[in-house]
Amino acid sequence: MRVSTEQFTELAGQGVEKARARPSLKMVPHFLYQKREAGLATLPDAAAAQACGAAIRSEALSRLPDLLEEFEKNAIANGAKVFWARTAEEASEYIVKLAKERGAKYVIKGKSMVTEEIGLNGCLSEHGIEPWEGDLGEFIIQMLRCPPFHIIAPAINIAVETIRDLFMARADMKEPTVDPVELGWAARLFLREKFHRAEFGVTGLNMAVAETGTIINLENEGNIRFAKSSPRTQVSVMTLEKVLPTMKDALHVMRLLSRNCSGQKISAYVSMDSGPKKDGEIDGPEELVIVIVDNGRSRIYQDPRAREALRCIRCAACLNICPVYRQIGGYAYGWVYSGPMGQVLMPLLLGLDKTQELYRACTLCGACKSVCPAGIDHPSLMLYYRSLDVSADIPAAHRFGGKKRPWKEALFFKAWSTAVERFWMWNSGISMVRPLMNRGSHRGVIRRMKGAFSGWFRKRDFPAMAKETFHERWEKIRNIW
Amino acid sequence: MKGRILLSARNEILERLKAAPKKEIPVRPFMPPLKEVALGRDELADRFAEMFTAETGIVYRAKNNDHALETLTGIVKREGLKSVMVSTDEVLAPLNLPAWGIKIDVKVMSPGDFKGRDDFKDAVFDGVGAGITGVDFAVAESGTLGLIHDRDQARLISLAPILHIAIVPVERIVPVYESVVASVFEKEPFPSQFVFITGPSMTGDIRGHLFKGMHGPRRVIVILVG
Repeated sequence: MRVSTEQFTELAGQGVEKARARPSLKMVPHFLYQKREAGLATLPDAAAAQACGAAIRSEALSRLPDLLEEFEKNAIANGAKVFWARTAEEASEYIVKLAKERGAKYVIKGKSMVTEEIGLNGCLSEHGIEPWEGDLGEFIIQMLRCPPFHIIAPAINIAVETIRDLFMARADMKEPTVDPVELGWAARLFLREKFHRAEFGVTGLNMAVAETGTIINLENEGNIRFAKSSPRTQVSVMTLEKVLPTMKDALHVMRLLSRNCSGQKISAYVSMDSGPKKDGEIDGPEELVIVIVDNGRSRIYQDPRAREALRCIRCAACLNICPVYRQIGGYAYGWVYSGPMGQVLMPLLLGLDKTQELYRACTLCGACKSVCPAGIDHPSLMLYYRSLDVSADIPAAHRFGGKKRPWKEALFFKAWSTAVERFWMWNSGISMVRPLMNRGSHRGVIRRMKGAFSGWFRKRDFPAMAKETFHERWEKIRNIW
Repeated sequence: MKGRILLSARNEILERLKAAPKKEIPVRPFMPPLKEVALGRDELADRFAEMFTAETGIVYRAKNNDHALETLTGIVKREGLKSVMVSTDEVLAPLNLPAWGIKIDVKVMSPGDFKGRDDFKDAVFDGVGAGITGVDFAVAESGTLGLIHDRDQARLISLAPILHIAIVPVERIVPVYESVVASVFEKEPFPSQFVFITGPSMTGDIRGHLFKGMHGPRRVIVILVG
């Protein structure tokens, strides 16, 4: 998948234009957010439940290496195979090799973010093995060759007319229709054959339980259950932070994930696998391979602050509440992940230099942090990335590929911090700057400015500076009182 | 050679994780229990039925197995079913569904009738109008069915047909998920797969328009026995 995180501003502009053309697009995050509120209200103490989720994810990260070893040991004892991959390429190539060895003509996929991250579909196609996405949304964007617009509803923005034309051309739909239910039925009939004949299934997973070596998937459509029931070979791909200590923890995260994601008490299907099928079972995989992908995470883990981004359970609550995401949609973020969770994760995975605008496209309003069931403090992380980025000479910044800001900007902020820390400098600075600032003001509002600050005024204005500072006025009026 | 590469990636990743700075494990906050924990037998059944119906599930109540079979006959007639795939689990066994099928002229198949996986898949995907299963558990908390997949409970019976009919003995209803999982994972070997099913399969992927019956069943019917 192409990475276009460096074209953020351009893509965000396009996103805003599209949303303006179709206001209904903007309703989806609101709708999901309201459902979330209702879902959380079914818990006796929603705040405590969210806090407990944060504690579970925090503990899982603190004990990460031990939990991974425990999970691996138990998964192998259950009869699963475990493969570790350092990079996206290692993971993809291994899966392709396995699919070839098993003689798979095509691969049926359950919806997963990690296989997008490792670019598995592209790799499979290159080797002549067709990947079929089983999730309706993923199926649509796979054929349209679009990136996901939303992490849980990847094709939510696609117009029904587009889907109609696509299904007529590519999914054997008989009669043209724009009814979502009939479109869904057409996709069902088309993909059913793929599920039926599947010999090789690939899924992601939501949780890996150390205590039992069990992997857990949540879904609504059934595509993941099919991918884990019909084929002879099942490959389940996880990034290494997915592991949780106990089954009890997993149940709690399951409750939170469903509610925060779609407002459901529990998703339609939750499937828990402990090894491949046993003797005498007629369906289910003969072999279960679990691929544990690092892809930069053990490097992120070295930094105790940045590590917090790995708490994420991919519920998308932060996308739905984010005022920036609500305006620009998912394409602007330029890669697999979007919204605040993408803004804190992708800079670490791709490098601070390649994602400059991602961690700056945030007003620090804190809405994301307030809804996160894993306790991620997104605004602090984005401030942290900004600080690492401007001080590219410290080791932590090297780790994440920080890039120094232009020297003029650096100089300005140096002067700024010197001035604001000194009372006399600030006062004399104000009186010097005031006439310059107010030169272009009209009726008390500055609408444009030449020079370095012109960009700021492109879409904003600024109140003109008062003739006197508060202290100056106070000196004059204090005697009246 | 292959083994060595495998091992080294694993060790490299784990060593890097172990070398990282340690952080404290936070204390878990107190959480009040779900109210379902305090419910009695009848209340649990009502709660289960209420939650299951909220997800468009349909619930029939039957006093005993004979009554359950009558109910099942009614459903099968109304739906015009010619053939069904049934599990051989311990809930269904006493109902003797093969005999029931002969009596009411419905073809009753189960996985044991097939030579292997492929034949079974052909039938369960294309040859039956419904899948009938028992359940190992039902959870009142969210109106959820719990199925342990083993040689008597094939995975595709509750998944591939457009209609899923589940026989749920009332005594198998438990308050919360924890009650289920404690018993499923009590001792090894763990079941190869355990599933929670809550209502029919569904999607909202096209413009957020929610509808039931995506890849799995479009309807789920429960006959509560007892």
